[in-house]
Amino acid sequence: MSVDLPTVLFVDDEERILRSLRMLFRGRCEVLATTSGNEAIEWTRRRRVHVVVSDQRMPGVSGVDVLRAVARHSPATMRILLTGYADLDAVTGSVNDGEIFRFVEKPWNAQHLIGIVDQAAQIAVRDFAAPAIPARAAVVEPAAARVLVLDDDGAIAAQVRELLPHAITIRHARTIEAALDVLAEEDVAVMVAQLTSAGGDVAVALKELKRLQPALLAIVVSPLRDSRVIIGLINEGQIFRFLLQPPVKELLRRGLIAALERHAELRTTAQLQSRHIVEPARDTNASLSGRLAHYWRRLRDGRLVRGARAG
Amino acid sequence: MNTQPRPSSQSGSAPPAAKPADLEKLVLPAAAIAPDTPVLDVGERILDAANTSFLSLPIVARGMPVGTISRYELMRIFLMPYGRELYGRRPIAAMMNRKPLVLRIDMPIDEAARAIAAHITNPITEDFIVTGRDGRYVGVGAVLDVLRAVEDRLTRRGVELERAHARLKSSQLQLVQSEKMASLGQMVAGLVHEINTPLGYVRNNVEMTRGAIGDAAQLVGAQERVIAAAGKPRTLALDRDLKAIEALRPRIDATALEDLGALLDDTLHGVAQIGELVGNLKDFSRLDQARSDRANVNTLVESALRIVQHLLRKRDIEVVRHAGELPDVLCAPAQINQVLLNLLSNAIQAIEHERGRIVVRTQALDGRVLVLVEDNGKGIAAEHLSRIFDPFFTTKAVGQGTGLGLAIAHQIVEQHGGLIRVASKPGVGTRFIVALPAIAEKTKAP
Repeated sequence: MSVDLPTVLFVDDEERILRSLRMLFRGRCEVLATTSGNEAIEWTRRRRVHVVVSDQRMPGVSGVDVLRAVARHSPATMRILLTGYADLDAVTGSVNDGEIFRFVEKPWNAQHLIGIVDQAAQIAVRDFAAPAIPARAAVVEPAAARVLVLDDDGAIAAQVRELLPHAITIRHARTIEAALDVLAEEDVAVMVAQLTSAGGDVAVALKELKRLQPALLAIVVSPLRDSRVIIGLINEGQIFRFLLQPPVKELLRRGLIAALERHAELRTTAQLQSRHIVEPARDTNASLSGRLAHYWRRLRDGRLVRGARAG
Repeated sequence: MNTQPRPSSQSGSAPPAAKPADLEKLVLPAAAIAPDTPVLDVGERILDAANTSFLSLPIVARGMPVGTISRYELMRIFLMPYGRELYGRRPIAAMMNRKPLVLRIDMPIDEAARAIAAHITNPITEDFIVTGRDGRYVGVGAVLDVLRAVEDRLTRRGVELERAHARLKSSQLQLVQSEKMASLGQMVAGLVHEINTPLGYVRNNVEMTRGAIGDAAQLVGAQERVIAAAGKPRTLALDRDLKAIEALRPRIDATALEDLGALLDDTLHGVAQIGELVGNLKDFSRLDQARSDRANVNTLVESALRIVQHLLRKRDIEVVRHAGELPDVLCAPAQINQVLLNLLSNAIQAIEHERGRIVVRTQALDGRVLVLVEDNGKGIAAEHLSRIFDPFFTTKAVGQGTGLGLAIAHQIVEQHGGLIRVASKPGVGTRFIVALPAIAEKTKAP
């Protein structure tokens, strides 16, 4: 077999799933498969694995556990969850701990899965090849970092202000329009957004913004316990964290710090941004898209102006 | 002529306005009689139209009640031979009842009713006197009014009780329902996962097979054309076909077809598994019709075990099943299923270590069917053990249990004429035993 094929590791406690997947990816990649989460973790420690595709519910170690461990030992490995049932814990765990690339539900569409795994594999092959992933201790320049909080009553903004050092500028917006204004004018690293309705503009905006600006990291705070909404935000919006409202202070603090660090990495190593590539959004909103396009133009023009001034 | 103060609720200290039903509402303003009023005058007074509703009149000296004189007593005096002449001029104080029933105006109706009952004579010949808190005369009260008030209150309370009862009943139903929904939700979550797993590889295998059949059709078509062209001059089309054959053959070789066969075997297995899971669900929903039916508890146990199977597998818990031969029981199978599911999921939740083991034993004993569910989990503290069948008692975290599961289980088992018992040792495990009355087997004719 060709040595250039990327390595993909499948983890599922059902042998037949593994057999089926092995067949599907034969010739496309070097397939590793195991029914044991612990074994999967061992393998990613010992050898280069470009993509891990794991089931969630397994005896012993859960899928989120596997992906969390992989993220720690082999950060360049792309992580995908492939599961038959999306309970809320699994979904939030996959974002917050697994930092996954995609959440795919069983039964899957073969071509769709091939597309996702191929895309993930390409990204990982490139990241493994170039020693691009910097040490996680990237220093944040506090003065440069800006955090935008989008919530209607300002409670979350107040909490964020309390949790972060004073050096970090915090902007508060009550509406999407106000948020877009801030985003167009200022260089925002992290956006904390309150999501109150499943079909609302905030979710659509988050997805579109990620597409336009991959380095912008989103922390979503929401009372919605709706797995489907969160899965949409993962696949189409690559959100960085999902916290149930009211957010646990410590989780919010850690999320903010991690997001600021990650943003610094993404800024210094632009190629990493492709790790946050999103799927095209399924539900769009024409008028919002128009406004976002407008924002995007302003942002681009503004950059040009700023760039000209700098030069 | 009457010098006594007019009865009014303002006399004495006024009772607080917000006080619940007491005597105040029942007070009748009867004009009081001075103790020295002659009997004849009192006789006239009692015949007065204003006084026809009174059984007796109050006698009051310096604002304080001293006695009563009843219509009955006056009639006795006047009906005596020469009664009018003998007693007519005497002061009423000589003839009055010196120990009338005196009640304070702020006395609650119920208490007043008790005092009246203790004091009452047959026939009822007197009203009672009502005083202020300072003991000064306020008015009189009729025994019948008190009884009526008590009756009203009882009726009202009865209605309230009935309403409260209806409310309780409906909220109990709702709670039972929500517990059922909670366990149903868990079950559905598990089943969805259980079904989507085989569905995952079934769909994938079918998609791959379809692709392979497309390739095979192309290959066979090209080969047929090549065979047909045998011996004929070489054409461009033939070259294309030969190229296609060369490209397709490695994909559709004997190994690939063998692999496809294996995939189809898996597919059949998956479809059978989905069928079985759906069958379980169907059994469960049919059982949910809650009517009384003959059922074998072993069957119910197997069905419940199948439903929690995904939980057992997920936690890697070993199930040791001892199935004894059992007579049937008369039961609502869905309800017994609910009990078994509850005991099993409690057992699973109690196990927090890696060597989980649940023993499920069924046996017949003395006309009963016993189900024993024993886990090697964390056990129940002695001080909790006596309360675990209480509604809403739970040691689980908020959102993990309603605290109703065992209460409902207990109720269901009792309704079936059975027993549910628990024994537990912290750190060792917990054992539940459910005993249900078996259907008495008819003795077979020899």
